[in-house]
Amino acid sequence: MEALFFNVDTGFLEAIVRGYKAGILTQSQYANLTQCETLEDFRTQLSATDYGNFLANEPTPLSTVTIADKATQILVDQFNYLRSNAVEPLSKFLDYITYAYMIDNVVLLITGTLHERDTHELLDRCHPLGVFDTMPALCVATNVEELYQSVLVETPLAPYFRGCLSASDLDDLNIEIIRNTVYKAYLEDFYQFCATLGSPTTDVMQRILAFEADRRTVNITINSFGTDLTKEDRAKLFPAIGRLFPEGNNALAKADDIDQVRIVCENVGEYRAFFDGSSNSGANGHGDDAGFATQLEDRFFHTEVHLNKLAFLQQFQYGVFYSYMKLKEQEIRNLTWIAECIAQDAKDRIQDFIPIF
Amino acid sequence: MSGTGARENIFATRMALTNTKLRLKGAQTGHSLLAKKRDALTTRFRAILRKVDEAKRKMGRVMQLASFSMAEVTYATGDISYLVQEQAKQATFRVKTKQENVSGVVLPTFEVDRVPGSDFNLTGLGRGGQQVLKAKEVYAKAIETLVELASLQTAFTILDEVIRATNRRVNAIEHVVMPRLENTIKYIISELDEMDREEFFRLKKVQGKKKRDNAAAEAQRLADAAERGEEPQEDEPEAEATEDLLSSKDNDVIF
Amino acid sequence: MTTSFKNRNLLAVIGDEDSITGLLLAGIGHINEHQKNFLVVDSKTQVSTIEAAFQEFTERKDIAILLINQHIAEKIRPTVDKYSQAFPSLLEIPSKDHPYDPSKDSILKRVQKLFGE
Repeated sequence: MEALFFNVDTGFLEAIVRGYKAGILTQSQYANLTQCETLEDFRTQLSATDYGNFLANEPTPLSTVTIADKATQILVDQFNYLRSNAVEPLSKFLDYITYAYMIDNVVLLITGTLHERDTHELLDRCHPLGVFDTMPALCVATNVEELYQSVLVETPLAPYFRGCLSASDLDDLNIEIIRNTVYKAYLEDFYQFCATLGSPTTDVMQRILAFEADRRTVNITINSFGTDLTKEDRAKLFPAIGRLFPEGNNALAKADDIDQVRIVCENVGEYRAFFDGSSNSGANGHGDDAGFATQLEDRFFHTEVHLNKLAFLQQFQYGVFYSYMKLKEQEIRNLTWIAECIAQDAKDRIQDFIPIF
Repeated sequence: MSGTGARENIFATRMALTNTKLRLKGAQTGHSLLAKKRDALTTRFRAILRKVDEAKRKMGRVMQLASFSMAEVTYATGDISYLVQEQAKQATFRVKTKQENVSGVVLPTFEVDRVPGSDFNLTGLGRGGQQVLKAKEVYAKAIETLVELASLQTAFTILDEVIRATNRRVNAIEHVVMPRLENTIKYIISELDEMDREEFFRLKKVQGKKKRDNAAAEAQRLADAAERGEEPQEDEPEAEATEDLLSSKDNDVIF
Repeated sequence: MTTSFKNRNLLAVIGDEDSITGLLLAGIGHINEHQKNFLVVDSKTQVSTIEAAFQEFTERKDIAILLINQHIAEKIRPTVDKYSQAFPSLLEIPSKDHPYDPSKDSILKRVQKLFGE
């Protein structure tokens, strides 16, 4: 049944997004890029890919920030095209994707307001995907109370803020806690929304979101070691979804070191590999923990890419849109990384990106 | 000789000579001390120069590492610059100043004074926190190098200044003070010699006059005795004349 | 002179966004009564703003070391070259996009001159 009517509304857009996906850089293109000696070469190499002449009008010397910005702009244009052609419920689904960026932007504005900066200049710093029409209205707010009210009125994020924060919380809590609290609410909501879309979207998306939630949980746990974040507060930041939920989350909330995190994660087959080679690092003290954790981050990225690639194996579902965005984001990160390595002459690390196809 | 070159405006007396000689002695001692100080400072300065040069190059590498770790943060976390800028409140990374004494010059040295702070502990909580932590450490290391370099550089600036001042003094003593004192001494000596010669000449003159007078008196006496038909007694008046000479000398000459 | 550097314990920075972010992460940031000890310079920043910040930081009594990105120092080179106070000591540091060039450093220039003599 699903497949029967899917193409009526969404067939065109799915075709478009799969077309876009074909433009994602391949292994050999990456190989070419990593051979570049200067950012000029880099620009030339990129013009042979789907990116085309996107950097053609940029003045030399090229900065890595410009490359990242321009690449993001292409992604944003693509997304906006999809979004403007979408109908319910895909349009709603696409909106959900933007909420994640919106949270970052709102948090940025909150930071600015807390420190009494002119928030208008912050608009430039916002992620273009998270920009919403009423955002300038938030800049009018001069104190946190007003900002909180306008967030509730003006933004689609209202339920997340209302659900877990009060105006006074914005003042008191660390900005990172606010961000993660809101993000947790968003993830859970997105998860619920995907459940209403029915199979196969539900299956595909819930797998990805569950991983995203687990990744956050593990990251928050590891990153809160040695900080003044209490265990109760830590537990409040864990999304109530994912494969580690609920008993894994409970255990993580009490974890004191990385070994305990490892034990929890070993209960889930797919996550076991993340902690390979970490068993001996616990004994060697804290220095190895940091090195290992950066490696863990890398493995998370790998898994994310892998899951998102899987989404393309199934037709007639919305997961491809989400996955495309994520893969493209990873690609932009890769490009920035390679450009950074070229610019800073760190050729030995240039292979540390995560190839997609 | 005494007229050439600058000299102090002074009365040429033995007293002044002694004083000036003492001052010259003092100037020579001062000169050699200052010269030693200058040499010591220069040695130190050269060492610091080399270190500054090295440290500057080292800094280039260290800062490159640091900015690379920043790239890692951007890769994992995204743009955190604004958050970081706004969250900065109290410096947890400060420096302490200590003093070091090189040949009487106080050189300040900076020392890292780091207190554990929690300003950015939660940055990148959801993602990339470890990279942030790593970047934090790498940058802290980099700043330690910078602080070290700053110490060297401050020492460099101060030493440079002090060495210049010392050089000026050494040169001033060597080329102005000492020649002037030497000239003064020469002048005094020559003046004194001149006075000696004048005195000697005057004495000669006086002696000559006295001799002539004595001779005239003797002739007179002989003439008188011849008139009286007596044989003159040669020796006694001679002795008297000598006595006269001595007594006259006593009157005129002060030494 | 001994008293003049006793109270100096802060570092100040004039630099581009990345350098500042990194240095602040390490914990050198200090903000009191709307007085910051760092200035973010981007392509839009006026040279006069940089000059003013440079003057302010060099005149403040609590700053021991002033760090400045070399490419920014380049913009106010005459002022930097003229600066010869011992405190705060001025350090030119490289930035991400501008590797360190020893030949432009005002201190190193003096070093080289002295070595050349």
